[in-house]
Amino acid sequence: MDPVAAAVLASWTLDLRAVCLLLVVASLYLRGWLRLRAELPHKYTAGRLAAFAGGLFALLSALASPVDAFGGLLLTAHMIQHLLLLMVAPALLLLGQPVLPLLRGLPRWVFKDALGPFLASREFRQVGRAMVHPVVSWLALASVITIWHMSPVYELALRSQAWHEVEHACFFWAAIMFWWPVVGVWPGHAVWPRWTMIPYLALADLVNTGLSAVLSFSDHVLYPSYQLAPRLWGISALDDQATAGAIMWVPGSIAFLVPAVILGMRALEAGRTRPLQRTTTRRSAVMRHIPAGKPWDLLRTPILGPILRYRHFRRCLQAAMLLLAGAVAVDGLFGPQVTPMNLAGVLPWTHWRGLAVIALLLAGNLFCMACPFTLPRDLARRVVAPRYRWPRRLRSKWIAAGLLATYLWAYEAFSLWDSPRATAWIILGYFIAAFVVDILFKGASFCKYMCPIGQFHFVHSLVSPLQVRVREPAVCGSCSTHDCIRGNGHQRGCELNLFQPKKLGNFDCTFCLDCVQACPTQNVGILTGLPGQSLREEHRGSGIGRLNRRPDVAALVLILVFGAFVNAAGMTDPVMMWMHRWHGRLRLGSMVPIMTAVYLCGVLIVPGILATACGWVSQCWKRETVTRKELACSFTLALIPVGFGMWLAHFSNHLATGWSSFVPAIERFLSRDASADYPPGPIPGWLPSVELLFLGMGLLLTLHSAWRVACRISEGRRRAVAVMSPWAVVAGALYSAGVWIVFQPMQMRGTMMMR
Amino acid sequence: MKPRKLLLLSVVFLAQATALADGGAVQLRTEAGAFVITVFTSPAPLSAGPVDISLLVQNRDGLEPVLDADVLLALRAQPSRSEIRAQASRQKSQNKLLYAAPVTLVESGKWQIAVTILRNGERTAAAGTIDVAPTREMVASYWGYVAFPPFMIVAFVVRERLICRKERG
Repeated sequence: MDPVAAAVLASWTLDLRAVCLLLVVASLYLRGWLRLRAELPHKYTAGRLAAFAGGLFALLSALASPVDAFGGLLLTAHMIQHLLLLMVAPALLLLGQPVLPLLRGLPRWVFKDALGPFLASREFRQVGRAMVHPVVSWLALASVITIWHMSPVYELALRSQAWHEVEHACFFWAAIMFWWPVVGVWPGHAVWPRWTMIPYLALADLVNTGLSAVLSFSDHVLYPSYQLAPRLWGISALDDQATAGAIMWVPGSIAFLVPAVILGMRALEAGRTRPLQRTTTRRSAVMRHIPAGKPWDLLRTPILGPILRYRHFRRCLQAAMLLLAGAVAVDGLFGPQVTPMNLAGVLPWTHWRGLAVIALLLAGNLFCMACPFTLPRDLARRVVAPRYRWPRRLRSKWIAAGLLATYLWAYEAFSLWDSPRATAWIILGYFIAAFVVDILFKGASFCKYMCPIGQFHFVHSLVSPLQVRVREPAVCGSCSTHDCIRGNGHQRGCELNLFQPKKLGNFDCTFCLDCVQACPTQNVGILTGLPGQSLREEHRGSGIGRLNRRPDVAALVLILVFGAFVNAAGMTDPVMMWMHRWHGRLRLGSMVPIMTAVYLCGVLIVPGILATACGWVSQCWKRETVTRKELACSFTLALIPVGFGMWLAHFSNHLATGWSSFVPAIERFLSRDASADYPPGPIPGWLPSVELLFLGMGLLLTLHSAWRVACRISEGRRRAVAVMSPWAVVAGALYSAGVWIVFQPMQMRGTMMMR
Repeated sequence: MKPRKLLLLSVVFLAQATALADGGAVQLRTEAGAFVITVFTSPAPLSAGPVDISLLVQNRDGLEPVLDADVLLALRAQPSRSEIRAQASRQKSQNKLLYAAPVTLVESGKWQIAVTILRNGERTAAAGTIDVAPTREMVASYWGYVAFPPFMIVAFVVRERLICRKERG
């Protein structure tokens, strides 16, 4: 093939986000179409499916194919793009009768809870009807075509990418409105008789013809950008314009006139429109009775399910992590003390943290599932059984909260991230602590009451989408052995005292799957659940009690939430410079006092004052039966998502910018060659967007949880707004701080080797 | 509003954003040696920060696109003399007739741009000047993401009002 032709044909740009969107829409349509086809096979034919798929392909072609790439150089290509957006894609999409399949394709809770109130509202229906009224939709298309083809407006779209996208959106949505009454999309009924669509289309063709004639017969170039653009293959700008006009004229007119002819022929056959009314009645029934779907179970997936259910799966995972931890510790102690060259400087601080939070976001507490620290004590317990029970007075999260605050402070004060040797000692210390505690005390005392990493995962797994829980509660009702917590001859029960039928969320769950293995009826799975559901519930959970009445849990949450922001802010240039300025002013020999003051204030004092003040303000509007402690604890739990958003933004920043650093570090570790070259990785352009999205999602989930809590503990919506407002202000302030942090220059601080 | 809805809507919202495409505004068009060279920059107007510079190289006779050249770019800021060098390639461009190079312009003001084309052992050079506006505020670049939470909050408030009205009615 001619290389130029090959280059033209290769000029596709499959933007990942656009492709993802189209795939989501296609999946929703297919899901809904399959469901509707089972009920109304004569309405939801394969032809509808093909038309919708064709419409999506036309849309993709308009936005990602060579016609888009060449649109800035050739008006002809740009005109083809516009025809795809105006005539082909919308008409095909609507021929697929997409409304009911898309709604039925949505998860039930989205359709009923989220969209339901809007769809049922009078205003929504009125606006919807007005938008597809033939007069409005005809005027919309005619004005959009005319206005966007005026020279100054068209030039604006050519010069600005943002305006170009606005232009395309106007074309597409105006065309959707225009073709709606022509196709006769369900739901809805024709406002005018069908035959009126013939003059409707003919008049639209007149507008199209007028504009085409202007383009075709103009004696000068109407759009100066094409005059300036380099000419390809010797085609002059005027010839290009005339060709574009011809394309707009002929295929454009065909697109209007063919449907007009078809409608004319159909109008001659009487009684064709009656089935539409019958379908409308049937549609209401179809949409009213959407069955509740069963939660998805990870353990029942084809490949991953059997692997996860394999009896020794966790041991294998822990063994692999143990080897990795050993390598990190050895390299940290004996390798070069240069952070980006050392496994102890790279793997724990860049990769492990980033992957752990992403696992929390997408699945659940996978770190604890693979935890290497508990493997040695498990092996030792085969020889020596622990004799003691963890002291009753210490059965809370206070020790863990203290350790966590200390860790966060030490991380910054002693630059743990920049010291492979200190990192190695922390790992070894962890192994020793877990071993000693769990050899002395029964159960998973270290995990439940001491481990700071475990607490981080327990708290944040409350917003994870997967939960280890019972599949059929009725089956547990007839169970008398309770193997899931007591264990049996071949499998131990839950070491964290979580009784599956009464388990609440993921708190204190290590995803060890002991309960899955122990259950004789195989009634425990890893099921999807609503993220953050347990943040707003007041039920008593097995092994954890009522989270909203536990000040130790509230303290832990406050340290984690505010720690997220203080820890991330410590990476930014302005905060570091500010701390160094104070260091200079006070003439201190070390930065430790400054760090100590910052962490004391940021992680302990300020959160404590804020929680107390907010609780004091909120109590004025609460119900009398709710104590101030319960109120403060409930709303503190609701802050978890915004804090998690900040941890995600922070750790994903390290992971995205330093992900490739493990390759040279491992190469050096294996070859013991310290002279390898370590190029810095590029900073991805999408990173700030993703970080902002994490923060925004965190804020929204926090506000939603706070709203549900407020509705529960106050009478009436007005009081609920008043009760939650101080906490909403705190959440908003944290979010604003997070956005500020994202936009600051970051110091990679040893996680990357800079040239 | 349920959390999974937030997730879904965020996916839809994210998917609406589009990538920076090559092409853009014509900054320079010149005939040099056997070639006609056109330099495009994006975004328009050009501002300091990450930008996309793309070039169309055509034969002077017949204006056929040249696809087998090595294209080198050198950009020098006139105020500070800081310099950026980059190799433009067709792999980096959306339009495969163009040679593209993503670069980061560290400051605003006038920049000298020098293009060197190597083809069949021959070296052709062209030069020009481009104006670079000050950096756009990052918040302005990501306004959609910053506006997302307030938009969702408003939608939620409207939804709650609709439910409230239905309950009363």
